[in-house]
Amino acid sequence: MKKVTVPEQSLGEKVVKHAAAIKVAMKESVYPLTATVFYPRERKKMPDNFRGYLMFDPDKCISCWECAFVCPANAVQMKEAPNKRYYPTVDYGKCIFCHFCVDSCSGGALKTTKIHDVAYKDMDEMLTLTEEMIEEPEIIREDKKLVEYEIDEQDLHLKRTREEDTLFVEVTPPVEIPMVSQCIEPESCLGCRICEEMCESGAISSIIERQVVKMAIDRDKCTGCGLCVKECSMQILRLVRK
Amino acid sequence: MAGIAIGESEWEVTVPEKPLKDKLYFENLKAKVIDTNLCSRCLTCACICPVDGITAVDGVDFPDYEAKCTDCGACVRVCPRFVYEPKSGLGTYIEFIAGRSKRFAGQDGAMVTELIVSAMEMGMIDRGLFAGRDEKWAIEMFHVRDPQQLAIPTLGGTKYTFADVLPALKKAVRFTKRGVGVVGTPCIVSGVRKLQQEFPIFREKVKLVVGLFCTENFHYDDISKFLQEKGVDFDKLIKTDITKGKFIATMSDGEKVKFKVKEVEDIVASGCNVCTDFTAVESDASVGSVGSAPGFSTVAVREEPAKKVIEYIKEKGYADFGEAKPEELDYLINLKKGREKNITKPI
Ligand SMILES: Cc1cc2nc3c(=O)[nH]c(=O)nc-3n(C[C@H](O)[C@H](O)[C@H](O)COP(=O)(O)OP(=O)(O)OC[C@H]3O[C@@H](n4cnc5c(N)ncnc54)[C@H](O)[C@@H]3O)c2cc1C
Ligand code: SF4
Ligand code: SF4
Ligand code: SF4
Ligand code: SF4
Ligand code: SF4
Repeated sequence: MKKVTVPEQSLGEKVVKHAAAIKVAMKESVYPLTATVFYPRERKKMPDNFRGYLMFDPDKCISCWECAFVCPANAVQMKEAPNKRYYPTVDYGKCIFCHFCVDSCSGGALKTTKIHDVAYKDMDEMLTLTEEMIEEPEIIREDKKLVEYEIDEQDLHLKRTREEDTLFVEVTPPVEIPMVSQCIEPESCLGCRICEEMCESGAISSIIERQVVKMAIDRDKCTGCGLCVKECSMQILRLVRK
Repeated sequence: MAGIAIGESEWEVTVPEKPLKDKLYFENLKAKVIDTNLCSRCLTCACICPVDGITAVDGVDFPDYEAKCTDCGACVRVCPRFVYEPKSGLGTYIEFIAGRSKRFAGQDGAMVTELIVSAMEMGMIDRGLFAGRDEKWAIEMFHVRDPQQLAIPTLGGTKYTFADVLPALKKAVRFTKRGVGVVGTPCIVSGVRKLQQEFPIFREKVKLVVGLFCTENFHYDDISKFLQEKGVDFDKLIKTDITKGKFIATMSDGEKVKFKVKEVEDIVASGCNVCTDFTAVESDASVGSVGSAPGFSTVAVREEPAKKVIEYIKEKGYADFGEAKPEELDYLINLKKGREKNITKPI
């Protein structure tokens, strides 16, 4: 076994280190430095990627259910909206703020805020419905100062300024790669025209002339939603880069 | 009849002609095949139907076709009996032999099971479709992906009822990486060939087609009712067999219920009365019991893939081989050829 010993130090070195320790002790007794932020009178400045209360933009949601599938706490449940689409709801009784849902959302419909004070009076209130996630929530702001941590070589300092930080984050929209549907194996097409029926953008058309079904995809109208790809029973449609 | 590309985003599909012009394709199929009792219940149509609407509860039907049928004509394209070209005879073969697997137990020499498992071992296929059964002898399809699954003793052996092999094939071709092995009666084999003729995925993914010799088959309700009336207890039934004009049901306690096949004549499925193919002439290899000694399966090795598998079985010593006599099949081949006269002429 290796014995742990005090490192060898010369007398001079010992004196210097002791003096430094005494200096810190004296400074702390006069002007104590703590890392405490006096919430709610003060609020800490959070980074833009802080994992806080979740907001939702239905226009960007494609109802893919990915957020509900990925949530490890089962906090995200999809509920039918009046427009017959399914949108997420979040139960803060379950949410562990991992933000896997945010990361999984391909359209950027779920976004974070810097709100960490997610407190409720009872369990029922903790279930946040879709419509409640669209509007910015009302929260009581008592904070007068904004506290920032500043780290220099030696120490951590708290920088206090008289300002109110916005808690809502503007997310840069994800880079969209334009895709279009394409038939990769015309030989296997049944001519069932289920793809045409599925397409909400009217991008697929068919003309029946006697014994021939003429199929066409309008590349300009196609939004690359992938519905036709999913529904084709012969699996011969693919999304390709526009 | 197939689709072709016209441009990057345009293509054309040629669909079959409709004998009944103003009717849906399914109505054409119904009028020409199902209602004329030509339908073999092979379910090739159900395999390809994009809306999965075709069922076979009381015969083949599409209960709410008015609402759901897309009128694509795929069912008509693949139905082997829409334009029926009856096949018969012994067919061509490279080798005609008797075999008995040393590894598996089956109906006869378990050569069907041996062929599929050996093909899997060789890496030719990664799954085989087997018609297993539940305790009431209703058929359940199994995708066998590991020879160990054959520890289920009910996967081998003959069930005298129709199996939904082709609807299961639709899933199998989608999931397989290397290829699929299919086992079926001659009508099912014809269905597989039609699918292969029309669609590349079946050409690429179905690597081994094993046909069974077949004189007739029964609808589950009919045969189970009949056997129950004969005093057959399904909980004890372990084997059914038709040999030398007798139906033999063997029980777990060794008891056998025997009766003449003539007695079940009335419940033979109507499609079988117009079926002329005894030996599955379109298969890669056909297997049956007539033509070889008891305990052996008769194997007609027809195509190259099957020949490779048989060579592998020989090399590994997985089976005993013996002589098979093609002339012993003559009686049943002729019996079935005689059914040609039952085929009603097309509408
Ligand atoms: C309906 C029917 C009628 C037959 N009639 C005759 C006949 O008249 N004369 C004759 O010589 N042989 C007939 N056979 C073939 C014979 O009964 C054996 O299946 C064949 O000899 C193979 O035996 P085996 O031991 O090599 O097969 P095994 O290794 O026991 O394997 C049997 C295989 O058959 C499959 N199978 C069983 N029942 C069905 C079914 N209903 N539909 C599709 N697949 C099924 C199983 O999945 C299994 O893969 C018939 C088979 C069937 C299914
Ligand atoms: S990807 Fe969407 S928009 Fe494009 S053709 Fe298919 S269903 Fe229509
Ligand atoms: S859904 Fe598929 S098979 Fe049907 S018409 Fe469209 S591409 Fe062809
Ligand atoms: S949808 Fe197509 S395959 Fe299905 S029944 Fe109608 S015509 Fe036949
Ligand atoms: S013969 Fe086969 S493909 Fe034709 S209608 Fe009957 S089950 Fe369908
Ligand atoms: S006799 Fe056999 S092959 Fe012919 S239709 Fe009947 S089950 Fe199919």
